[in-house]
Amino acid sequence: MLHWRSNLIQINAFFFKIWLITRKRIFHLFEILFWPAIGLVSVGMLTRFLHLDSNMVAFILIGVIALSVVQIGQLDISYVILYSIWNKSLKQELAAPVNMLHLIAGSWLMGVIHSLLVLIILSGFSAYTFGFRFLDQGLLPIACFFCGLLLTSAAVGIVVCALAFRFGGRAHVGANSIVSVLVLLSGIYYPVEVLPAPLQMVSACIPVTYFLEYFRSFYGFPINGSHTLLTGFGLALFYLMAAMAILLAAVHHSKKSGILLKMSE
Amino acid sequence: MRSNELAIQLQGIHKTYPGRTGSPPVHALRSIDLAVGNGAIFCILGPNGAGKTTLISVLSGLLYPDAGKGYVCGLDIFGDRRKIRGLVNFASGHANLPDNFSVDETLNYFGMLYGLPKRERLRKGDQLTEFFELEHYRKIPFNHLSTGLKQRLALAKSLLNDPRVLFLDEPTVGLDPKVTLLIRDRLRLLNQERQTTIILTTHQMDEAEQMSERIGFLKEGRFMRIASAEELKRSIRFQEQVTISGRNLAAAGEQLQNICGASCSTVTQQRISCRIDSRQKQLQPILQALVQSGAFIEDIAITQATLGDVFVALAEQSDSD
Repeated sequence: MLHWRSNLIQINAFFFKIWLITRKRIFHLFEILFWPAIGLVSVGMLTRFLHLDSNMVAFILIGVIALSVVQIGQLDISYVILYSIWNKSLKQELAAPVNMLHLIAGSWLMGVIHSLLVLIILSGFSAYTFGFRFLDQGLLPIACFFCGLLLTSAAVGIVVCALAFRFGGRAHVGANSIVSVLVLLSGIYYPVEVLPAPLQMVSACIPVTYFLEYFRSFYGFPINGSHTLLTGFGLALFYLMAAMAILLAAVHHSKKSGILLKMSE
Repeated sequence: MRSNELAIQLQGIHKTYPGRTGSPPVHALRSIDLAVGNGAIFCILGPNGAGKTTLISVLSGLLYPDAGKGYVCGLDIFGDRRKIRGLVNFASGHANLPDNFSVDETLNYFGMLYGLPKRERLRKGDQLTEFFELEHYRKIPFNHLSTGLKQRLALAKSLLNDPRVLFLDEPTVGLDPKVTLLIRDRLRLLNQERQTTIILTTHQMDEAEQMSERIGFLKEGRFMRIASAEELKRSIRFQEQVTISGRNLAAAGEQLQNICGASCSTVTQQRISCRIDSRQKQLQPILQALVQSGAFIEDIAITQATLGDVFVALAEQSDSD
């Protein structure tokens, strides 16, 4: 009982840390709200310029919203480590009896709240400005779509943390790179069928591809293959576990090689 | 064989850092053996790069050793790392904590990392801010605090979990004498009242001498000597300096080298200054020679070996000595 309670407090520590960072660093709040809004407005304007019909507008704006959710969800997990590296306080924090599960769970929880906030704001904004009503599909499809994206964002965030333990504060470059690959290969702005065949095979390994396909099916776009949602969740969970294993290996390496100490000097 | 009487028990601990491209690996710790009893204050001295911080990092679970055996509070440093981290804590001189968290937020956050419930965190926060005289700075962010206040906050943070072993890496470096004395006073109090074992590294010899019962001198990853400050001072061959003031000293002063082997650097009618190897053997003949030559002695001052002399002597000593 006591053990569980102390574990929950330790998870809460990282939630509290991200809450403080969000509250105190205006730049972080800016990253959470400003860029997703800019992304939605600029792409929305492009759909107007191209005179796309409402289904095509939905196709593209779903992609923009999905990208924002993944981007924001991973941001808080990445920052829980990157912020400590920038402050050189990592060894002080990791000297406490916490483990990576506490760290990921606490920061991801805040990532879920921030992502939900972004989802609500972008949905409202896209309905008001571009007439795309994201929330009309009902709670279950939205929940499935959102949960899938959150799992993917957690995997991305954990990989960025692992990169941070290996390469220090420069790891945020990795976050941008991973999200850029998602933009290119998972069909954020176009169907994956337009990609060359070898890249389509890579797309088939990215969970976001399936979550987008699932949600776009409510707007009349076809689903390729069966068990789309199941495949998406299966892949997302696989990447989540793989990312966790990579993170644990990176932490072990940093304690073995002394990188952890170097990052705190 | 682990002992419950010992806070720290190490046998043959090795740590090698991999060399960077083209450079050889760095042997930071070589076969370290150490035993520190519960409630002791043990100081690690040594030149820069001797392995002090590496040793403290290994003991506090931040760095994995390559070989050897070790126990902290009776727990295996290879198998019980998380449990050990819950029982120990550390503070380093160049304290780095989250830079825009206030004093209260920092203590609250670190209290959470140690799994303390809210009521306990609040109680500890009040107690520690008072103990380190931080009450007036509770809302100030870390990056707005002076060096001394940062150091006090780092120490307050290190006591949140009532550690059984406290590792302090140069805790008073760069502080003014007033804050240094405050911190030393608080640490002594902590050791006496709670029997907290303190492992301390410092470059301040007076700190090492005043604070610790035993001192280990580390050089190139090896303990060259572990003893009390007094034993260390006695262990080195040190020439004491004898300064005699008075009148008519010059006549005998010029003969002292022949009489008892003392080498004099100053010989005037009013003052003689010379170095001797053994006070027991050489002081008496010097004084006799002076008295017999009609000198009038007003004052004698003898400069003893300091821990600083021990440090220099051991640092300059080659491994083959």
